[in-house]
Amino acid sequence: MMDERIRLEILSNRFQAIVDEMAQVVSRTAHTVFVKETQDYGSVLVSRQGEVFAAPRRYGVLMMIGMPMEAALAYIGDDVAEGDIFISNDPDATMGMATHLSDVYLWKPIFVDGELLCWSWTFIHVSDIGGRVPGSIAPSSNEVFQEGLRIPPQKLYAAGELNKALLDMILTNCRTPDQNWGDMKACLAGLATAERRVHELTAQYDYASVNSTIDQVLDYAEAQARRVISHVPEGTYRYTDYIEADMVGLGLVRIHVAMTVKDGEMLLDFTGTAPQVRAALNIPTYSHDGHWMLITGLVNWICTQEPGIAYNAGLVRPMKVHAPRGTILNPEPGAAYGARYATSHKVCDVTVGALAQAVPMELPATDSGQGSILLVSVPDFETGGHKVSVIQPIVGGAGGRPVDDGVDGTMVILNFLKNIPTEIFENEMSEIVIRHYGLREDSGGPGKYRGGTGIEIEFETSSPYTSITSRCMERYIFGPPGRLGGHMGATGYTTFNPGTNREADLGKIDVLEMEPGDALRIGTQGGGGFGDPLERPAAKVAEDVANGFVHGGTAQEHYGVVLCDDGTVDEAATTRRRETIRTERGWTEPPLYGLGAAREAHSAVWTEDLEDAISEAVSDMPVQLKQFLHARLIARIQTEVDEVRKVAADAVPGILEDVRREVASSTATATE
Amino acid sequence: MSRYRLGIDIGGTFTDLHVMEEGTGTLYALKTPSTKEDPSLAVTNGIEELQRRYGIDPAEIAYFAHGTTLAVNTLLERNGARAGVLMTKGFTDTLELRRLRLPKANDFFVPKPISLVPRRHVKPVDERMLANGDVRTPIRREDVEAQARALVEDGIETLAICFLHAHQNPSHERQAKAWVEALFPDIYVCTSAEVWPQQREYERSLISVINAYVGGRMKAYFNTLQKRTTDLGMTCRVFSTKSNGGVMGVASAAERPVETLLSGPASGVIGAAHVARLIGDANIVTVDMGGTSVDVSIVQNQIRYATENTVGDFPVIMPAVDVSAVGAGGGSIAWTDAEGVLKVGPESAGAVPGPACYGRGGTRPAVTDAYLTAGIVAPDSFLGGEMTLDRDAAHRAIDSIADVLGFGRAETADAILQVTTANIYAELLPQMARRGVDTSGFSMLAYGAAGPTQVFMLARELNMRRVIVPPSPGILCALGCLVADLRADFVQSIWREAGALPDDELQAIFARLEDQARSWLADQQVDLDEVYILRSADLCYAGQSYEVNVPFPEVSSGDITTGKVVDWFHKRYGQVYGYTDTDAPARMLEARLQIVGVTPKPEIRLVADAGDAPSGPKGKRMIHERGQALEATVWQRGSLREGDVYEGPMVVEQYDTTVYVPAGFRVTVDDHANLIGERT
Repeated sequence: MMDERIRLEILSNRFQAIVDEMAQVVSRTAHTVFVKETQDYGSVLVSRQGEVFAAPRRYGVLMMIGMPMEAALAYIGDDVAEGDIFISNDPDATMGMATHLSDVYLWKPIFVDGELLCWSWTFIHVSDIGGRVPGSIAPSSNEVFQEGLRIPPQKLYAAGELNKALLDMILTNCRTPDQNWGDMKACLAGLATAERRVHELTAQYDYASVNSTIDQVLDYAEAQARRVISHVPEGTYRYTDYIEADMVGLGLVRIHVAMTVKDGEMLLDFTGTAPQVRAALNIPTYSHDGHWMLITGLVNWICTQEPGIAYNAGLVRPMKVHAPRGTILNPEPGAAYGARYATSHKVCDVTVGALAQAVPMELPATDSGQGSILLVSVPDFETGGHKVSVIQPIVGGAGGRPVDDGVDGTMVILNFLKNIPTEIFENEMSEIVIRHYGLREDSGGPGKYRGGTGIEIEFETSSPYTSITSRCMERYIFGPPGRLGGHMGATGYTTFNPGTNREADLGKIDVLEMEPGDALRIGTQGGGGFGDPLERPAAKVAEDVANGFVHGGTAQEHYGVVLCDDGTVDEAATTRRRETIRTERGWTEPPLYGLGAAREAHSAVWTEDLEDAISEAVSDMPVQLKQFLHARLIARIQTEVDEVRKVAADAVPGILEDVRREVASSTATATE
Repeated sequence: MSRYRLGIDIGGTFTDLHVMEEGTGTLYALKTPSTKEDPSLAVTNGIEELQRRYGIDPAEIAYFAHGTTLAVNTLLERNGARAGVLMTKGFTDTLELRRLRLPKANDFFVPKPISLVPRRHVKPVDERMLANGDVRTPIRREDVEAQARALVEDGIETLAICFLHAHQNPSHERQAKAWVEALFPDIYVCTSAEVWPQQREYERSLISVINAYVGGRMKAYFNTLQKRTTDLGMTCRVFSTKSNGGVMGVASAAERPVETLLSGPASGVIGAAHVARLIGDANIVTVDMGGTSVDVSIVQNQIRYATENTVGDFPVIMPAVDVSAVGAGGGSIAWTDAEGVLKVGPESAGAVPGPACYGRGGTRPAVTDAYLTAGIVAPDSFLGGEMTLDRDAAHRAIDSIADVLGFGRAETADAILQVTTANIYAELLPQMARRGVDTSGFSMLAYGAAGPTQVFMLARELNMRRVIVPPSPGILCALGCLVADLRADFVQSIWREAGALPDDELQAIFARLEDQARSWLADQQVDLDEVYILRSADLCYAGQSYEVNVPFPEVSSGDITTGKVVDWFHKRYGQVYGYTDTDAPARMLEARLQIVGVTPKPEIRLVADAGDAPSGPKGKRMIHERGQALEATVWQRGSLREGDVYEGPMVVEQYDTTVYVPAGFRVTVDDHANLIGERT
C-alpha cells in the first residue's frame, strides 16, 4: 500500500498533466485571436462537489481555481449520464460561474465503471455571442439582455448524442457561428482528452485511491494556503480605490474592502462598495467565497510566497467573501457584465492595498491598473464594410517591489498579454502609420525600487471615418499609488493631434472618430514606486538617467540625486539635496501609501466616513432606487462641497431626505 | 593509412570526443575535462590523448565537426560584447518592450527582463520604410554617422542595425552598414535583414543583436581553435554544428554564431534519429536526461523543427530542432514541504556540489542519490569506475528526509524515484499534446548520463510500446556531429492574401532564396554526395492566428504557383486540425527554403566496446522499487550478446551510464548493439 502523501504528490502531478494537456488540446485546436493572444480559455478538473481540484498554472485563464461550479451542478440536478456534455454561459443561472456571456462553458461527467468520479470542465471566450454590438461587449450596455444570448445549463450532448436543435439555436444567434462552433469543438476535444486520461489513471490506481486523492489535494492546498495566511498579523485592514467610470457618465465608483485576517482565513467584506451600475462594469460574484474575480491579487500573493503550492480550489477556501447584494460586486440578476474586467482589476488593487498594511514587504506597489485594448476600424471601400484590427494592448508599468524595480511596459497581473508587431499591424492596415511605440520616460513612480514605466504610442491615419475604441481606460485621475515612501506613478493621457494647432487633451476615450491626417498619442501609467526614493543608491539613479528611464529633473526633485554634466553623481550636492528633502517632507516613518495629490485632495473631502455614510444611507433600497438616489446624493454633496468645502458624515441622512423631497416635488411639478 | 572522423561535443563539465575509423566504422570515445576559460584547450588536450591512447594521428583526421555551448553560455551568462544598436526613430524601445509577455505567471516577484543592450546604446536613426517597402523618410548619412560615432565613443565593440520593415526593403540597412563600416572598419556590423529577414521587428532585431553580442567571443574562439588544430598537424577543415541539426564551416560560424545557439540538443537528436533510421523505427520520442532536466524531442521519420524557440529570456525564431526541457534530472533535489509532502526539483545540485554521492560537499538528496540508495546504480561502476560514488554520503542525505517522512531509507529512495517519474510525466505529456502527438504509438530512445537509468520507469508510466538504449548513450551528440549534413535555412516574409500574389512574384521569391542558398553552399567548399532543397511556406486562413508550415512536394522554384500552394495548405491544414475550409481565403506569411548538402558518410556500425567484460552476469543485487524489493541480475554491457533475451529486473552497467530494466520488461540486443526493451 502506497503511503498517502507519496500518492498525493504522484497523483497531483498526474492531475496537472491532464489539465495541462487539455489546455494544449484546446488552444491548439481553437483558432481565434482571443485564444492565442489573450489566452482567454480555461480547462480544469472538478470534483463531484463542484470544486476545481486541478488547474493549469501556465496556460489559459489561471484564476479558474476560484470558479464556483456548485450552482451549475445544482441546476442540472441528478440527470447526468455517461456521454453527456453540458453547456452554459449564463452568469445568473450559474450564480457567478460564468461572469459574462462571451465565456461559453462546456463540461462533462467522467464515469468509472458506471460511477461518477469527477468532471472535466472548459470554457472559451467566443468572438461573438449576439447582442447589440459586434463582439457583444460594450461598456455602455446596461442590462444583460443587450449583451447577447443567455444559455442556462443544459445538455449539448445527451449520452453522446448532439442536441442539434440547441446548437442551431445558439449559432443562429451569433455573428460568428463558424468560429464559435470551431472554438466549442476545441473544448470538446479537450474534454475527451481528459476523460481518456482519467480512465488511464483509474486503470493504474483504483477508483477509491483516485477518489480519495481528489479530496486530499484540495485539503492539501487549503492547508498550505492557511499556513501562508497564518503568518499575517490578525486584524482588519481597509482600503478604498475608485473605478473611473466618468466615461460612461457615472463618475467615480468606489470599491472598498475591509479585510479581516483571523485563524488562517481572510474575510473580504466589500460593504461600502458602490451600488451596481447601469453600465457593463458589474461582476456577478453572488458573493461567493473565493470568487475568482475578487481574489486575483491574493492568489498571486500566496503563489509568490509558496511557489510550489498545490494549485486548486483548496487554495481559495480560506478566502471568505461578503459582497452586499445590489453592489457592483454582487448585482441583482440581469445587470450588464460585459466589461467587468476593469472592476476586477480594481478589486485586485484594493485587496493588495489592504493586505499591504499587514505584510508590506510581500507585495508590490500598485500597477498601472489599465488593461485596455486599442482597436481601430476603417472603411473597406472595396467591400463596403469595415476593417477592424488591434493596434496594441494599452497597458502600463508594474509597481515597484520590495526586492526589485517594477517591470516596465506591462503588469505582473496581465503577464500573459502580448503586443502586436508594428510590422504586422501596418501590413494588415496600411491606412495607419505608427509614428512611435516605446516606453514612457520618467513615468514610473519614484521609489527605492522604481515603478515600471508606462508606454507611449502615437499613430496617424490616412483614412476617412477612422474609428478608435479603447475599452477600460483607467487611472487618468488618480495615478497608481506608491508604497512605503514610494511615490505615485504618472497618470495616463491621450493627446489628439500632438504638436499641431489642433492639439487637444482628450482624457479617457471610449470611441473616437478621426479624419485623414489626424494623429493620436496615448501615454499609459507608470507603476507606483516602492520604498523611499532617497534610499535608492545614487549610482542606480544615475544609471536610470543615462538610460532615460528617469529624467534629470525627477532625479533631483524626488530622488535627491544631483548629476554632473558628464552624468556622474555629484556626491556633495546629492547629500545636501537629500537632506533638504528629508527636512521638508517632515516624516520619519514612511507613509504606507503614496496616493498622490489628486487622490489626497479628493479624500480630504470625500472622507472614508462620508463615503461609508453615503453607502449606508442607500444600502437597504431596491436596486433601481438605490442607483438613482445614490447618484443624486453624490451630485448634491458635490454641490455643497463646491460651496462650503466640507460635508460631515452625520449630515448624510439629512441631505438624503432633502434629495428625496426634491425628487418628489419635481415629480409633482412635472405632473401639474 | 586509416582515415578518421572526429566529433567533439564541448559541454559544461566534460568535453566528449568520438572518433570513427572510416574503413571499419569502429568508434572510440574519450572524455576530458572542459576548460571553461579557454574552451579550445580541452579540444587539443583531447586530440593529444586520442593519439596517446589509440594512436590516432591528427593528420589522419579527415573530418572534424564540433558542437560548442560557447555562444549559448555567453548569452545566458551575459558576458558578451558591448553591442550597440541603430534603430528606426520612434522604435528604439523594441528590445525593452519585447513582446510584453512575462516568463512566469502568479509571481509578484517575477524577475524583471533585462535587455541585452542598455537603453542608451540603442540610438535612433531618422528613417522610415512603409510596410510595402516604400520609403517614407529617406536615410541621411550624417545622421547615421553621428549616432554610430556616439556609440563608438561610448565604447561599443559591435553594432547591429535594425530598421522597421527592413525584411521588405533592406536598402536603408545596407546603406547604413556601408557608411558605418567606412567610418569604423574595425567594428563588427550586422543588419537584421541579412541575418534573418523575417517580419516581426522584435524577433528579427533580436537575432542580429544576439549575433553581435556573442559574435566577438565566437570569432576569437574559432580563430584559436583553427590555429591550435593546425599546430597539431590537422589539415582537415573544421565544422560547427547548428541549431537546425546541420553543420557549417567555421568561417560561416564566426559570421553567424547565432545559428549555433541550440546546436547542443540538436546534435543529440540528429544522432538519435540516425539510430532510429538504422533500426527502422519511424516513431521515436528521444529522452536525454542530464543533471537538471530531461530534453525530449519527437522524430517521426523526420526531425521536427520549431520556430518558437527560446534561449533564456529570448525568443529565437530561426528554425531549430524542436527540443523541450521537462521535469527533473539526476541532480534535482528531493525535499519535503511544510505539510510533509515529498517534492523533487526544480532546484538542482548541478555539477557543483552535485548529488551527495559525488562527495563534493553536497548534503541534500538528489535523484542520483536515490538511484544509488535504491540499488539501481552501484558506487563502483560509475564512469567505468573512474569516479567512486560515496554511498554513505548518499545514505545520509536520503536519511535526512526519511526522518521527516517517517520512512525507511530504501522506501524513501523509492518514493523519490516515483515522484521524479511523475514530474517528468506531468510536463512531458502536455508537450506532446502541443505537437499533436499521442505517445502510445511511439518508442522511447534514451541517452544522456541518466536517460537509460530512468527511461524504463518513464515508459512504463506513459504506456510506451518500446524502449531503445543505444550502445553508448553519451555517443549520440558526437554521432550527431559525425553524420550531420551541411544545412542552411532561408526565409522571406510575404504576409499577403494568397489570391493577391501573382505566380511570377512567388516564383521570383523562391528563386531568390534558392540563389542565396546555393551561394551559401558554394562558400562552404565541401565535396558533397548530393544536394537537395526543401521548400515550404507558412500559411493561415485570413482572420485566424494559427499558421501551418506547408512543405512543398518536390518541385523546382519555377513550377510553384499560388494555386498549388493554397491546395497544399488546405490538405496540410486538414491533416493537422481535422477539417478544412476551402472557401476561406488563405494568407501567405513566410516563404522558407532549406538547402541540404549531403556529406559523404561511411557506413556506421554501432558496436559496443566489449572490453574485458565477463561472459556471464556480474552478480545480483536487491533493488527497491514501487514498494517491492526484488533481486536484479547485474550485467556489464559488453557481456550482453546479440540476439539473446534478458528479463527484468536487471541492471546493465557500462562506462557512461547504468541501464535499469524493471520487472515486467524484457530486453534483447539487436544487430547494432542497441538494447531493445519491450513489455513482457
